[in-house]
Amino acid sequence: MYKVAIIGVGQTRFGEFADKGVKELFVEAFLEAINDVDKGIDPKDIKEAYIGNLGVGGIQLGNFSSMAVDQIGLHGIPATRVENACASSGFAFRSAVMAIMSGVCDVVLAGGVEKMTDIPRDKLRYWLGVSGDTEWERLAGMTFPGVYALMALRHMHQYGTKREHLAMVAVKNHKNGAQNPKAHFQRETTLERALNSPMVAYPLTIFDCCPVSDGASVTILCRADLAKKYTDTPIYVAGFGAGTDRLSLFEREDFTTLMASVLAAKQAYKMAGIEPKDVDVAEVHDCFTIAEIIAYEDLGFCKKGEGAKLIEEGETEIGGRIPVNPSGGLKAKGHPIGATGTGQIYEIVKQLRDEAEKRSRQVSGAEIGLTHNVGGSGGTAVVHILRRG
Amino acid sequence: MVQLLFTYLGEGDFMEGKCGIVGYGVYIPRFRIKSEEYVKAWGVFAAPGVKEKAVAGFDEDPITMAIEASINAINYAGIDATDINCVYFASSYPPYAEKLMSSTISTAIGAPSNIATSDFTSSTKAGTAAMLAALDFVASGRGDFALVVAADSPYADFKDFIEHRLGSGAAAFIIGKEDLIAFIEGIHSVSMEFFSERFRKGGEKFLRNLAIRSYAKYALNKIYTTCVSELLRRIGRKPDDYKYVVFQQFDGKTPLEVALRLGFKPEQVTPTLLCTKIGDTGSASCLISLASILDTANPNERILVASYGSGAGSDALSIVVTENIEKKREFLTVEDYLEDKEYVDYLTYLKFKRGI
Amino acid sequence: MAYVSIPAYWKTIPQRYSLIGLKCKNCGYINFPAREICAKCGKKSEFEPIKLSGKGKIYSYTIIAAGSTPPEFLLQEKYVGSYPVAVVKLLEGPKIVAQLTDCKVEELKIGLEVETVFRKIYEDEQVIRYGIKFRPVKKRRRHKKNEK
Repeated sequence: MYKVAIIGVGQTRFGEFADKGVKELFVEAFLEAINDVDKGIDPKDIKEAYIGNLGVGGIQLGNFSSMAVDQIGLHGIPATRVENACASSGFAFRSAVMAIMSGVCDVVLAGGVEKMTDIPRDKLRYWLGVSGDTEWERLAGMTFPGVYALMALRHMHQYGTKREHLAMVAVKNHKNGAQNPKAHFQRETTLERALNSPMVAYPLTIFDCCPVSDGASVTILCRADLAKKYTDTPIYVAGFGAGTDRLSLFEREDFTTLMASVLAAKQAYKMAGIEPKDVDVAEVHDCFTIAEIIAYEDLGFCKKGEGAKLIEEGETEIGGRIPVNPSGGLKAKGHPIGATGTGQIYEIVKQLRDEAEKRSRQVSGAEIGLTHNVGGSGGTAVVHILRRG
Repeated sequence: MVQLLFTYLGEGDFMEGKCGIVGYGVYIPRFRIKSEEYVKAWGVFAAPGVKEKAVAGFDEDPITMAIEASINAINYAGIDATDINCVYFASSYPPYAEKLMSSTISTAIGAPSNIATSDFTSSTKAGTAAMLAALDFVASGRGDFALVVAADSPYADFKDFIEHRLGSGAAAFIIGKEDLIAFIEGIHSVSMEFFSERFRKGGEKFLRNLAIRSYAKYALNKIYTTCVSELLRRIGRKPDDYKYVVFQQFDGKTPLEVALRLGFKPEQVTPTLLCTKIGDTGSASCLISLASILDTANPNERILVASYGSGAGSDALSIVVTENIEKKREFLTVEDYLEDKEYVDYLTYLKFKRGI
Repeated sequence: MAYVSIPAYWKTIPQRYSLIGLKCKNCGYINFPAREICAKCGKKSEFEPIKLSGKGKIYSYTIIAAGSTPPEFLLQEKYVGSYPVAVVKLLEGPKIVAQLTDCKVEELKIGLEVETVFRKIYEDEQVIRYGIKFRPVKKRRRHKKNEK
């Protein structure tokens, strides 16, 4: 099997863009990725595409991938839409990696796009609930924040985590996002503000929840032994893993861990031949602040139950023992569902290349980076470990 | 005699102690609204004698109320839901104009598929009509146990006076032949045409009452007098034989007027007046009051129940409490439901009833 | 747009109305909701229907704020406002998720004893969808008939 390298990445700003639809966003990210290949690339070298998209809004539910490659001028190549809720482009990336490892193609595009802010509020309710269990959770009146709220309450009950710890995650990620020109939110916040904001699903407030965003991200992958043709700074895929869990939260044994994340991380560490402590920088799936705390534990950055302690001690700040979400995470950078996974890859690639925009967000000397992308309430999860050349 | 053309002669010796009540249960929603709220909203509360009434929550309706009352009745009776051979559901304002609601109830309580079901509606005497039908079902040998449940939460236009008294509640009875806590010693029914008194045409949302007072009073007295005196005559009883008398409770005043006219005393009626606390519960009214009396009745006491239906009829039952009433199993009483309450204001009331 | 069809809703009525779980004859695990393959032992074995008591304790809960509810609950949200939802661990073992009703926010806590009640869940396509919710166990206030 071949090894895989990333030769170019591109991402739009995540946010609210009334004048840009899925097509405009995807093309913008694509063009940036092409230009990012420092020795240049003929787009026609790309032989396959995997595009993550949940389909929010329903503008193109069928054959989305065909529309996507058509828009970027590459119609003709095999293309697939990948959908695993919020982990769509993370899994798109994984499929691209496996396609190259198998030898079927040498240069592959993996990206994602989502347009979420052009839907009337009452219609948005339909789309936001589609990634959880429909028949039982949704018909019990559950919402996406509601499911994570159930996890938060158990984590607080079992490990003494407090609402303040959740707010600390929000404060950290907003601080990082304020320095990220591509982030949805570019304003810092305070602990008081986060704690006193309106409840969305007790105990989670609006500051515990990621926003609804528009955006697109594109990565271009290539067989590792051919990468130097395109770039002097290829970033290698050292390992990856993925998993699933019971779709409905209520059917799981333990609400304070995501089995899919644990499985994915184990596989990825094993393949890369590293341990959690070897990771220099990570982009984890903080769709809600509690999700980041649980991710610390699931990814092995700390012992089970000690996630709150890790954030409290500042270990996950840029400059801490294990910087997490230097981009601002889903919380501040934004969460255009289909684009988030490869958006995380974009950030880690930039960090490993020492190219983070603004320099204050740069994690110095980062050699090994990790991305952690979860679908819904943990039904699916995928972890990638990237390494500087 | 002209009367004979209209009265139904319901004789038959099956009534003499062979059928009766094995168990019962009620459901009263926990929300209440006080008469003062209406005075604040409308300047008046047009339901004499009613102090507060029960309000079905946003997620409740006659079917949901009927199911809880039925489960209570099954628990009281000590039978299994699979023993039930018949489910009769009564409501003067059912959630569906066409859909077998007794099937929803029978499925939810766990009754078997091989079962007789029917919905009784279109008047406030539907509850007693269903009970008489259940007695017929068991007496004729078609089955061992029949569940009869009446539930109501009627709607009227919020600016009409008839709306003021409309409450919510349900009562269920298990009818059988053995281990009776009360048996039926006689029944009688009457039917006369008195239209436009309390009615609702198909497809209309709101109950109406043309409020022609003298006509309404005439109808009420004519029907009640005919029905009750004929029942008493046939079974050889006098008003004084009864410890309790249950009449249709549109408000807290009318049952007392009816009682006095028929030769009963206020102390026979007052203990049965639940409408002062729960409002007019339509077809469930007489059955909820009967349940409340059975909660505290003693063996050999007699109860007369006479319903009155939307300007056209009445069913009267003479009920005798047995020794078995002493052997009660753990159950929720009417008092338990009455005491578990939460007051709402008029705005919340309107929201629950989707009135705005 | 996600949609639960009438036949899909109807198939789950034994669970939604009567809390019927499926006990795996191979390993004894009670599957709730129903499924084709036992969630515990992974065998498509014979199942024995078993009516659950509906009694249990709150395992976790949340309060869904008005403004974000699923579309089926839009009317409820507008007329009633925010509502609590709980995951309840039933006495027999399975966990189930449902709304809480007839209780005040201050009463909510992990471990609260609850029981099922039959209520209207939502309405769609002119058909009322019924199901169960939970409420704090309704206690008897009196023990004997004449005790005041």
